[in-house]
This record gives sequence, structure tokens and C-alpha cells, in this order.
Amino acid sequence: MSVTRRTLLSQAAVIALATQFRIDPAAAQEKVIRFAMPQDFTKIYTFVTAEYSQGQKDYIALVNARGGINGYRILAEVSDQGNDLPRAIEQYERAKSQGAILVDPLGTPAARALTPRALADKINLITAYSGRSDAADGTVFPYIFPLSPNYWTQIALLIDYFRTQSGGDLKGKKICFVHIDTPFGKEPLPILKRLQEKLGFELSTFPYTPPGNDQSAIWPQVRRARPDWVVFWGAGVGQTVALTEAIRNGLPLSKVSSSVWLSESDMDVVGRQQAAGVLKVEPCASGREPRLIQQILKEVVEPGKGSGAAEKVGTAYYNYGVMITSIMVEGVRQAFAKAPNGPISGEWLNAGLSSITNFEAEGLIPPTTVTPQDHQGGGKARIARWDGTKFVPATDWFTAYQDVVWDEIRTTAAEFQKSGK
Amino acid sequence: MEFALILELSVNGIFIGLMYALVAAGLVLIYKTSGIANLAQGALAMMGAYVVWAISAQLGAPMWLAIPLGLIVMFGAGLLTERLALRRMIGQPVIMVIMLTIGIEIMLRGVLPGIFGAAVKKLDVGIPNDPLFIGDILINRATMIGGLISLALVALSIAFFNSRLGLMMRAVSDDQMASWSVGIRVDRAVAIAWGLSATMATTAGILWGSTQGVDWSLSLLLIKALAIAILGGLDSIPGVLLAGVLIGLAESLATGLLDPLVGGGTRDVVASVIILLTLLLRPHGLFGREHIERV
Repeated sequence: MSVTRRTLLSQAAVIALATQFRIDPAAAQEKVIRFAMPQDFTKIYTFVTAEYSQGQKDYIALVNARGGINGYRILAEVSDQGNDLPRAIEQYERAKSQGAILVDPLGTPAARALTPRALADKINLITAYSGRSDAADGTVFPYIFPLSPNYWTQIALLIDYFRTQSGGDLKGKKICFVHIDTPFGKEPLPILKRLQEKLGFELSTFPYTPPGNDQSAIWPQVRRARPDWVVFWGAGVGQTVALTEAIRNGLPLSKVSSSVWLSESDMDVVGRQQAAGVLKVEPCASGREPRLIQQILKEVVEPGKGSGAAEKVGTAYYNYGVMITSIMVEGVRQAFAKAPNGPISGEWLNAGLSSITNFEAEGLIPPTTVTPQDHQGGGKARIARWDGTKFVPATDWFTAYQDVVWDEIRTTAAEFQKSGK
Repeated sequence: MEFALILELSVNGIFIGLMYALVAAGLVLIYKTSGIANLAQGALAMMGAYVVWAISAQLGAPMWLAIPLGLIVMFGAGLLTERLALRRMIGQPVIMVIMLTIGIEIMLRGVLPGIFGAAVKKLDVGIPNDPLFIGDILINRATMIGGLISLALVALSIAFFNSRLGLMMRAVSDDQMASWSVGIRVDRAVAIAWGLSATMATTAGILWGSTQGVDWSLSLLLIKALAIAILGGLDSIPGVLLAGVLIGLAESLATGLLDPLVGGGTRDVVASVIILLTLLLRPHGLFGREHIERV
């Protein structure tokens, strides 16, 4: 392409004219609050991302269909970072340049990589079910928000459930912990060891090689250990293989449990009836009964505005997406309550997110209170049991051993503060 | 460690090894006819499992029909791969051909979960998960049945190489020019080898898919298959049987005996150590023919 003097001059004139007008991003975007969701749709987190993202998009559609918050629409930019850190960082930087004030990468590697940037840029980074467990400490991680029970709290909830089911005493009981041999899989170990000392149970750990597609040599050892309780800790194919091997080894599933990473689609792979009895940590209600899910069905899905397959509405991971997005949007509401005129920025939203009090998303989630100190939201969840067709609550919302969990949170957060790692 | 556990790990390890051997047999089949290590064999196993799942779950065919249809589709896919990709590489350095198979592997691993969805899929071939105890020893039904089917198929491959078509393929593997000169259609023999190899990969994909579900991780079978093919000898079908059993046994026992000592993770190390040691100490494997080139 040749550049003539005339085109050069005319382009220069246009640029000169354009720069005379200051473009206010918020004004240009007509009252929009920007979120960014650079998530992994194609590599490791594929087992959850599609349903989680569908729940997020449908909830945002519901909010926007009702006129947004204070006349502001929520604009969520969804992109695929493929669990690839350079791509996640590039997408984060693009979101930042476009004015995003909240980023939700849904994945531990991306969340960890983005943490220093989010802290420096004062952009709220949502690390629900992922990222650093110690990010619950808002004094050290003011812009990082897990907004859900971290893995330390999840294992504490399971142990407390075992204790209550064992007559209030775990002394001498044997607990087997089968986990993927990665930092995520090992995450609960410090809390398990602390609780072992405190409660006097026996602990045997069985790491398996990622991704966990062959665990046939692990589970005979678990069976022969004659455990009172079993916890398996992985994701994706590792979870379905673990559960299948537990069945093949004849372990009673009423004594077998896992973290939040167990869903209806896992049960389809294992066999819905065969998996009956298995336990999981449930951070929000599953199914379509919750009022918020009913509203999404009526106002978004039935008019044909849903973002994905209608049959996925109400699955565990769909509801996780709705849960976390409803807390984000509640943060926006609180931010408007504190500073109705903005200016809309990461700091503005941070103040809102840090002052959420007893928020229940119309019965979908446990009472959640986020403070400048506690970004976990109180650490409440419940234990649910798969009954062959759906997850049914086995307990009410509760929290457990938060003294032990917060000791660990403060210790590791202090290390981060000192070393930056 | 109790003897019963070692026995249980050994029995199940042997069956697992036989299931790996089926993937390795496909590798050997192609190597024997065209002298290429097909590094897309794991992805072909994954593709075969996806195809059978799609015929069954998406098109609603019963499993007894979905499996033979899947095998036919994958035989065709093998033929097409050879015709459209591999044949164009004739005259190119072997390394380029191997790179092409890596390219196919990467492409299939990305494209198939994209088309069918990345979540794990259930492939129910009717093998019950109920525990099967013989005394104190638990036999994993899925791996036992999978291992026995693999054993039968690998044995069938050995018999096939003694048939007329098999002899033709052996001749092609020995000397392509000489085969041409006696009227053997080398390109056809190589194409059939690709078709059969894709069929074997599909059978392995179905067996593994029924034990673990169908997802991208089926393509990881390549690493085990490579270790077995290298240990057994890249041109020896009987070699893959013995090597499969050895590697399955070693992995299973390593998980039981070494993992508690070192904190886990030894299962996958076994395959890589075997590849390294075989290449260093006996590059042609246990049963492979030593190639002597006179210059």
C-alpha cells in the first residue's frame, strides 16, 4: 500500500481533530460497569468452565434485563485463556485498558499469576474455588476475593462432618486422603495434619499422578487400610476415576467424600445410581428450586435469552457461576450505596465488595459476609449427598475449625507479605 | 507390606499392561510396514473412543452397533490419514514424517474436545463395576476384561502377520523396493496397516474409555505405548505383549511399594525410566531386530 502526501495529511488532520475531544470511557460506554472473565475453556478447567460461565452470563442477563444496577449495565467480557499464563496476562491487561474493574479467571495458575498485578493495579480479582487459600486475608490481599470457602475450609468442613457422624469423637478413626499429586491436591494437607493432632484421628495419604486417569493401583491400598472415612481430592477425569475405583473396591460410598469439585456430569460418567451416597462440600444450593434460579429460568431462559443449553440450568457448576456473580453484583450494589456518584473504579468496587453483609442471594447461598479482613465470606457451606438423581443437603450451612484455618491463612499470608511469593 | 496386596497389585498391573499393549501393537504395526513411529497413536485411541461415544450417545445407536460402526469409521480414518497426509511425505526425511504425526496428535487433541465438548463422557460397554473378589484379592473387572480382550487382539495380530496379507506387509517392511519388484502394492499395504492400526487404537480407546470415561487424557496412552513398543522392540508384536505385562507390573508395584516411601508420583516415572534404559542398553528392545547398515 502506498501512502501519498494527501492521505498522510488527511489522516493527521483526523487524528488532530479527534484528540481535541477527551473521551471519558464510562461516558463512551453508556453507563457500563466492566467485568472480565478470561477463563480456561479449552485445557484443564474444561470440566467446570462452560457451566460456570453459563451461570455467570445468565445471571448478568437477568440483572441487565431488570435495568442493571443504578442504571448501569454489567458488561462481562468472556475470553478463553486456555490455562496459558501469557494469554491470561495479555487478556487481563486488555481488560484493564478497557476499564474492567473486576477480573474472574477461574483457575489457580492464572489467579496466582495475576495476583501481584491485581494488587498493584487495584483491580478486584475473584479467585473463587481457585487461587491462593491465604487470599482470604483481606489485610494482605486487599484486591483478591475468594468469596467462597477455600480448600482449607472445605477439608475442615468434611472433618467436622465426620466427627459429628462418628458420635462427636474421631479419636482412633482412620481417614484416607486420596489426592492428585499437584499443589492443588496437596493444599488440604497442612489443615489435615493440624486437625489430626487436635482430634486424634489416623491419617493416610495417597497421591496419584495427574491427570488421574489410572488409579487402579491406589484404591486397593485404600480399601486394605480399612478406612472409616475417605476423601478424594482432584478435578475432571481424576474425580470420576476416583469415584469409579471406590465403587470397584467395594467401599461404602456413604463414607466417601470430596470437595466442591463433584457435579452431576461426573455422576453421569460414573453412573447415577452406582454413585448414590457419595458426599461433597456444597457451597450453594444445587438444582432449580432456589428462587434465583427460578427467576433466571422465567426471565432469561424461557424468553430464549439463555447463554447455553437449557438443561444445564441448575447443575452444581452452573449454580456456582450464579453464586459468585450474584456476590460480585451485590458488591456493585454496596458500592453504589456507599458512593452513588462513583467514580467507578477498582477502589470504588472494592469498598462495595468488602462491605457485603449476610447476603444470601435469595436462598441460593449461605449467609455471606465479606469484610476488609475476611475475603472468604465467612467460610460457610454444607455437606450434600448424591441420592442417585440429585445432591441433597446432609447438613445445614455451617462452618468449622476457622481458628485452625485462619492460623494457616495468617501464617502463609504473612510469608507472602514478606517474600512476595 | 502384606503379600496379598502385592499379589493384587500384580494381577491388576498385568491386566493394565495388556491394555497398554494394544495401543503399542498399533504403533508396531505401522512401524513394521512403513518404518515410521506414529506419534498420533494416543490421539487415534482418543478419537476412536469419541467416535463410538458420538455414534452411541449422539446418534442413539445401541453399543453393540456403535462399536463395529466406530471401528469401520476409524479404519477409514486410518486409510485417509495415510492417503491424504502420509503418502504426500514420500521422499521426505523420516523426521519430517514423525513431525507430521506429532502435528496430527496435537490437532486431534485440540479439535475433538472442541467438537464434542471437553467434559468427560461416559462410555458404557456393559462391564459392571461391582467388586469381584477371589479370596482376599480384588480383581478389577474392567481391567480384567479389557486385558483379556487386548490379549486376544494382540494374539490375532500375530496370527495376521502369518496370513497372506500379513506376509505381504512383512515383505514391505523388509524391503519396499524388492516388494515393488515382485508385484506387491506397497502403498496399499501401508494404507491397510494405517487402517488396522487406527482400528486397534479405537479398540484400546473403547476399553480405556469404558474404565475412565472419554476425554482428552486418553491421548496420554501414547507415552505408555511408546515405552512398551521400545522395550518390546519396535518391530515385534510378541514383544509388546511381554513388554506390556512388564511395564504394567512395574507401574502397579511402584505405586504400591515406592509411592509410600517417596511421597508419590512414581507411576509415570517408571515408563520414562524404561524408555531411557532400553534406548541406552538395548536400543532394539527385547525382541526387535537389530538393524545393521553396511556402508
